[in-house]
Amino acid sequence: MNPQRPEYLRPALVAGAVAGLLSGLPFIGAGNCVCCLWIVGGAAMAAKLLAAATPGLLTAGDGAIVGAMTGIVAAVVDAIVSIPLRSFNLGLARRLIDKAAELGGEMPSGVGGILNSSSGVLTPGWFLLGLFVSAAVFALVGALGGIIGVSLFGKKSLPPAPAAPPPPPPGPSDAT
Amino acid sequence: MNPRSARRVWFATLVGALVWLAAIFLAPWLAGRGASGPARFVYAVFAPLCHQIPGRCFVLNGHPLAVCGRCLGIYAGFAAGIILYPLVRGFRRMSLPPARMFILLTLPMALDAAGGILGVWKSPIGLRFATGFAWGTVLPFYFVTGAVDFFRMRKERRGPRTLEIAIPKN
Repeated sequence: MNPQRPEYLRPALVAGAVAGLLSGLPFIGAGNCVCCLWIVGGAAMAAKLLAAATPGLLTAGDGAIVGAMTGIVAAVVDAIVSIPLRSFNLGLARRLIDKAAELGGEMPSGVGGILNSSSGVLTPGWFLLGLFVSAAVFALVGALGGIIGVSLFGKKSLPPAPAAPPPPPPGPSDAT
Repeated sequence: MNPRSARRVWFATLVGALVWLAAIFLAPWLAGRGASGPARFVYAVFAPLCHQIPGRCFVLNGHPLAVCGRCLGIYAGFAAGIILYPLVRGFRRMSLPPARMFILLTLPMALDAAGGILGVWKSPIGLRFATGFAWGTVLPFYFVTGAVDFFRMRKERRGPRTLEIAIPKN
């Protein structure tokens, strides 16, 4: 256990910004469809940065904290990046669904309606609700990524402490 | 580590995993009953986590589940892992799984996904589910250990609670 609290914020901000940016971009953001790749990867990267900046050993709890913080930062950055790209992302999703329907045959009902209904203007309420849900889910997934990151990248043992200086040689005895 | 605290975290995670899994089936069930609004909300909750391409999802009542076959495998594997946790690990010994175990269980899914993305092959939904399931089983062993350690750290950093009693001045 660390005697001092590790500095979680900096690695979480850096890794969360990168993960959120990658999640919000078209095409690249689809990486999250592979088991939340950017969020888990970003949280693992945050754990690696934290391990590099912390002299002591990290525990699984440290990984959970930095990972959850990374997930929350990523959700905020993702939401901000997604605002200007919303119409483009919706169009892309619609094309993907159409393509999948062409390749896979009959498309189950409901999905098209869901997509069409989300093509309206983004209201602040829906935006905040989406942000809240994303932050909660990304925090959980990020915590998992952070713990995995600590197990993969954390120091396994501390370097040996420098040897203590040898004791001074005994002086002449005063007891005469 | 206090086994009682570990047991509490395990139980909360088990309940959460089962609720999460049930929500995946809830979306098509609601859509099948005509409750499109609530169904849309449940689909939207899972949208940041999964592409939800209908051709890659299992279908219930004519509607796709809220996540694809691979993601369903991961969540089902997580639930299976959390159920097996007390038998495999117990509550007295809290340690993370070895890295080689994680890599071994990640490799099949990573290869399957990479092959699909690169267009080398198109694996059937059952294989996607199976590789996701294998990966999902190892995750609770990280999650529970991390969560238990987090609560231990929080308790230690808070320190012992002191009771302050205001003494009235005479």
